[in-house]
Amino acid sequence: MERAERVPQPAPPNGRRLAPLLSLLFPGAGHIYAGRQERGLWIAVTAATLLTLLWWLKFWSLLPALVPFWLWNAWETRTIVQGRRPSTVKLVLSAAIIVYAIGWRVTEIDVQRLAAGAQKIRPFVVSLVRPYYVDREVTYAAFPAPVQVPCGEEPSPPPAGAGSGPTIVPTPACASVGETITVRGEGFPPNVEGELWWENPIGDRVRLRSGGEFVTFVADEQGTFEVKVTVPDVVPRQFQESAQLHTVEARYVRDVGPWRLTETSYLVAQRMGETIAQALMATTWGAIFAVPLSFFAARNLMQFHPLALLVYYLARTALNVLRAIEPLIMAIVFVVWVGLGPFAGVLALTMHSIAALGKLYSEAIESIDPGPIEAITATGANRVQVVWYAVLPQVLPPFVAFTVYRWDINVRMSTIIGFVGGGGIGFLLQQWIRLTDFRSASAAIWAIALVVTVLDFFSRKVRERFV
Amino acid sequence: MLEVRKLTKVYDDGTVALKEVSFTVPDGEFLVIIGLSGSGKSTLLRCINRLIEPTSGQILWDGVDITAAGQEELRRIRRQIGMIFQQFNLVKRHTVLTNVLTGRLGYTSTWRSLLGLWSREDRARAMRNLELVGIADKAHNRADELSGGQQQRVGIARALMQEPKLLLADEPVASLDPATSHSVMKYIEWMNRERGLTVLCSLHFLSLARRYGTRIIALRAGELVFDGRPEEIDDRRFKEIYGDEAIEVEIR
Amino acid sequence: MSERSFYVRWGRYLLLVALAIPLYIWSWRTADINLVDLIQGAPKARPIISDLVRPSLLARERVTLSVSAVVRVPCDAPPPEPPPAEGPTLTLSATCLNARDSLVVSGSGFRPNTPGRLYWRVAGLEGRLRDEPFETDAQGRFTVETDIPPLLAQQGGDHTLEAELKWEAGALRPSETLRTTIDKMIETVFLALMATTFGGLVAIPLSFLGARNLMPTTPWGTTLYVAVRSFFNTARSIEPLILATIFAIWVGFGPFAGVLALSVHTIASLGKLYSEAAENIDPGPIEAIRSTGANEWQVIWYGVVPQIVPPYVSFTVYHWDINVRMSTIIGFVGGGGIGLELQRWINQLQWNSAATAVWAIVLVVSAMDYASAIVRERLV
Repeated sequence: MERAERVPQPAPPNGRRLAPLLSLLFPGAGHIYAGRQERGLWIAVTAATLLTLLWWLKFWSLLPALVPFWLWNAWETRTIVQGRRPSTVKLVLSAAIIVYAIGWRVTEIDVQRLAAGAQKIRPFVVSLVRPYYVDREVTYAAFPAPVQVPCGEEPSPPPAGAGSGPTIVPTPACASVGETITVRGEGFPPNVEGELWWENPIGDRVRLRSGGEFVTFVADEQGTFEVKVTVPDVVPRQFQESAQLHTVEARYVRDVGPWRLTETSYLVAQRMGETIAQALMATTWGAIFAVPLSFFAARNLMQFHPLALLVYYLARTALNVLRAIEPLIMAIVFVVWVGLGPFAGVLALTMHSIAALGKLYSEAIESIDPGPIEAITATGANRVQVVWYAVLPQVLPPFVAFTVYRWDINVRMSTIIGFVGGGGIGFLLQQWIRLTDFRSASAAIWAIALVVTVLDFFSRKVRERFV
Repeated sequence: MLEVRKLTKVYDDGTVALKEVSFTVPDGEFLVIIGLSGSGKSTLLRCINRLIEPTSGQILWDGVDITAAGQEELRRIRRQIGMIFQQFNLVKRHTVLTNVLTGRLGYTSTWRSLLGLWSREDRARAMRNLELVGIADKAHNRADELSGGQQQRVGIARALMQEPKLLLADEPVASLDPATSHSVMKYIEWMNRERGLTVLCSLHFLSLARRYGTRIIALRAGELVFDGRPEEIDDRRFKEIYGDEAIEVEIR
Repeated sequence: MSERSFYVRWGRYLLLVALAIPLYIWSWRTADINLVDLIQGAPKARPIISDLVRPSLLARERVTLSVSAVVRVPCDAPPPEPPPAEGPTLTLSATCLNARDSLVVSGSGFRPNTPGRLYWRVAGLEGRLRDEPFETDAQGRFTVETDIPPLLAQQGGDHTLEAELKWEAGALRPSETLRTTIDKMIETVFLALMATTFGGLVAIPLSFLGARNLMPTTPWGTTLYVAVRSFFNTARSIEPLILATIFAIWVGFGPFAGVLALSVHTIASLGKLYSEAAENIDPGPIEAIRSTGANEWQVIWYGVVPQIVPPYVSFTVYHWDINVRMSTIIGFVGGGGIGLELQRWINQLQWNSAATAVWAIVLVVSAMDYASAIVRERLV
């Protein structure tokens, strides 16, 4: 193409003025008139596609963005009839204006939302540096005081007498749901930080919140503090009529135990194991099915008969179609088929691996060097010997390299196949993100990063040795 | 006059490429540097325009100490020193003309060169130089479409663009066949004789060195082992330079 | 490599395979491989496969004809006589009935050979009650027998009996599914395009920092190089789908979240590919340009840029192709594109619709695959 453009095309008589006008009428028309059929056709198809897109999406307001392309194509036609070489880069750039204008609209890009949502994502970013792998067992010192909800005819219980240890006093000692009471603490260790909890009459506890944040207190030098809390809605409506005794509780950390692995760690380790196993099984099954298939999809092996060639085309098409469908989509189908769990994931990944490996294998077979085969055959070797000494040594290294590479990819894939119920770590990760348990999510993400990076490195080493 | 004093280069890995090499080159000389691969020829040439930083020693050119020059001054010095390379070192995807024009970069302001705004004068000069080396018709071809000998001639044209006073040629014909070698060497000889350039040229083959050099220096393992006229190299000297096993071959 | 050492090497790998057996047993169990489920579940997969070849593409407009008559339940007073109607008419065996009485409905003058159904509009209630289905004969007549539903008696009053026929008529046009699919596929392709562009734009400057040969060997240079390379490797290992889950929280559901997730992943993958390409450039031309006395900017523009443009463009096109694949599924977690619709259709077992989406994906992805291969071939 490069070279073809350098040959100056003779401008048709009277074409000097007509060609740019034609291109202005419809892009590419002038090119075709001036003898640049291929370029003109490409430009015309591009313009038609863009117009169709605008029509389909009803984006008529973006029509001005099409103007630069329209004008440039006419200008370019002028360049051509003058015998100069048109610049493809500039033409593509002028078309890019309208393409990106459409893209910007279609994908709803909104920088404001990015800025506005930053608050929501902050806890996640903070959690990223604190993955929840280890924690310490914590024992609390807890100091309760009764609160009557709502105020009834019976007098509310007297506040607990001032003992020697820390005490808290809620005032007033009775309130309705949603009302604010003041909790005053005395006799606490100086400067201690703590949290406030609420217990309903049947012993369910919640940590008190105010405006989305947990309520905390900090004692002063004398060991006293005062915080306002809102009586939480922790009893079913129909029982809120009669006065009941609830408990408000102030707690602080008395003792911190040794470091230990969290439940999250165990879960992450177990699911990462599942992820790796899944990928290994899928790669193995994929390879087992892909090897025979790849022979049918290798052109150099299937040229001996028209029927064989037909088989070749069928195999190639099947592999291409299968490869185009993401394993996640297949996983949804297999979840319907065999139920939730890692097996569905294995099946989906297997299908995709067959397609991907089949294509790579068959390309490896197609690119073998016929020289050694000729040489071994010339020694009088039989077919099996030829395959063993001339074909296998050539195809085995790329086969192994591709398979290891596939395992690597399958591990990546199986980290997300759980999103649709296909097993592996994906399901847990998604749950944690949805429940805003970002520290656990962070633990899972770092585990994925570690395993994938290690496997990536390992597979790269293996491939370097084989290729 | 170019004066090299006690030039030493030790690479980061400890390899000693040059050991206290000293020599002077009067203006207008065609100095050929010979020696085995790895004897330090390339390092020596690259130290002169400081593509490689020498470890110690001095290089004086018309009294200016190149080794002490700051970045700005070094660039001013470099643009007066043309260089051609064994692998031609053309930018393959650019046209021949653009490759030749890059010889003027040292004389062109940054923004003009980034926008490709070469002066009319430079363009004319580039075409003249291409005519001089006989490939003006290839000016708009991509550099990698040319044969090896043609590419080296583009390299020569590029060096000519700098209007240099000194030409460094690092094995200019080692990647070319014998016939092409002579045609390229003739261009270099022409630059030396007609344009009066001082030439420092490293060569692999003694026969070429004898044919074109007005003086020869020889390096062996980074040390200067010979400095004299071409005809002074006899069999004993030859074995000193190239080792006992070597046999001289003729390039015609 | 001699023939013998070749087989000695392969012998070693065979040994490795023997060691791999326990690994395989563990994997088999962990991955919960259950071939019985696979075979027993096969009937469930039948409709999937049979509908896969019948994607919903075209549909005709649906025409509805409804004719009504009034019935009084319970029968406390005779209902008003129905006005004589032109065209299709309903004839009832009685117009005043009690609960559970039998009612024979016959009609004439309807569209021949068309399925229909009876419905009740109950006095004082919203909506309508489904009753018996029927089909008209060649003369456009039908007769159907039904019982009066008890609800009619409970409510009391004049109720309306409707006979409704539905059939397809008019020209074929794209089905609702196809229209949605096309909309979403456009979104998918543009999503990938925007993400590739943003990712590429950020990756280019980063890739220079991640190329060993372009970074100075000072401690600062090395630190920056290591930091950039580590970022590439870590961010690359996190699938875009996971990133999309997070961005969906950040900017809300929609294609923008998908664009951001794919952009981040693209920065990392392209950054790595770009910096490897930058590391592989030929130092010769750089040396030559430098020897002419050019400054650093000129060296980069004339020595480095012409060498990296072809691999950079080729990798970018390749990555657009990958991003199109990714954006077909990024909708699963609220990132826009066809994924959301596809998942909805599969979950609602609308396999014809799902098939439309799947074939559209196959078409677009294969076309992209082919186009990107052609572009890359031309560039090298």
